[in-house]
Amino acid sequence: MTDDLESKLRDALRPAAPSEDFDRQLLARLAATQREPTKLRGRYASRTTWWFSAALAATVVLAVGVQHHRAVEENREKGLEARRQVMQALRVTNDKLDLAYRAVRDQSGAVAGDPGA
Amino acid sequence: MSMHKYLKWIFVLALLPAVSFAANPRLVLPDFTGLAGRASDSVTITLDAPMLSLAARFLDPSDPDQAAAEDAIKGLQGIVVRSYTFDQDGAYKPSDLDSVRSQLATPGWNRLMETRSQKSHANVEIYLMTEANKAVGLAVIASEPRQLTIVNIIGSIDLEKLHKLEGRFGVPQLGIGPAKSPAAGSAH
Repeated sequence: MTDDLESKLRDALRPAAPSEDFDRQLLARLAATQREPTKLRGRYASRTTWWFSAALAATVVLAVGVQHHRAVEENREKGLEARRQVMQALRVTNDKLDLAYRAVRDQSGAVAGDPGA
Repeated sequence: MSMHKYLKWIFVLALLPAVSFAANPRLVLPDFTGLAGRASDSVTITLDAPMLSLAARFLDPSDPDQAAAEDAIKGLQGIVVRSYTFDQDGAYKPSDLDSVRSQLATPGWNRLMETRSQKSHANVEIYLMTEANKAVGLAVIASEPRQLTIVNIIGSIDLEKLHKLEGRFGVPQLGIGPAKSPAAGSAH
């Protein structure tokens, strides 16, 4: 019984020569398994790169847009403030010229009303 | 070059800033922080040439006041206004204006008029700086019992345009436009 088992095992584990196209099949399968993940990885990588590039471009465009809008808004606020100051400055100037005018008018009125003049 | 000549050049170079200061239509206004602190209301406006051109872009030509203002500020290099209103009389001293008056006493500045109102006790002085028969600077000092105002307009001032402003902002015509004829002048 023991001898029978032993001989069976020996037969099974006996070194055997590979078939003729073993090398070719092995190499072919190896090449196929190596090619497939690379292709997948490449596809995945290119898609990720595309999305990343698109997101980056969108972010840049958005940032430039926001910055431009902010600059336009800031410029507008400055312009409106400058306009307000110009109008106020001219109003103050005219107010003081009016003061001078009234003083001149009062003086000339007083001179005209003076019988000795 | 002898030492004497060097000294002469140093003296001339030292005088240059004083000469340029004397001919400047832009007044160097003192720091009125003390006055501003005592004032119940103050106006501090400093507009340089870029700010004036920016303001001009935002003035509405369809509004008569703004159209007149746009016309008036063309060619100006700056507008400076300091105005302080106080709650009581005598809150400022005449000496607060000494440095301004000393600048207006330099060659180039001419006092156009000085008015003293007996009624309101207001004193208004109008100074003009001219170069080659063109007004390049205007200064107004208005001292009232409870208000002190200094206006300095720098640049190519067209008195006719300023004259056009009169009547706007609710101000009657003052008659400081360019002399035309005695009849025109007496009309004001």
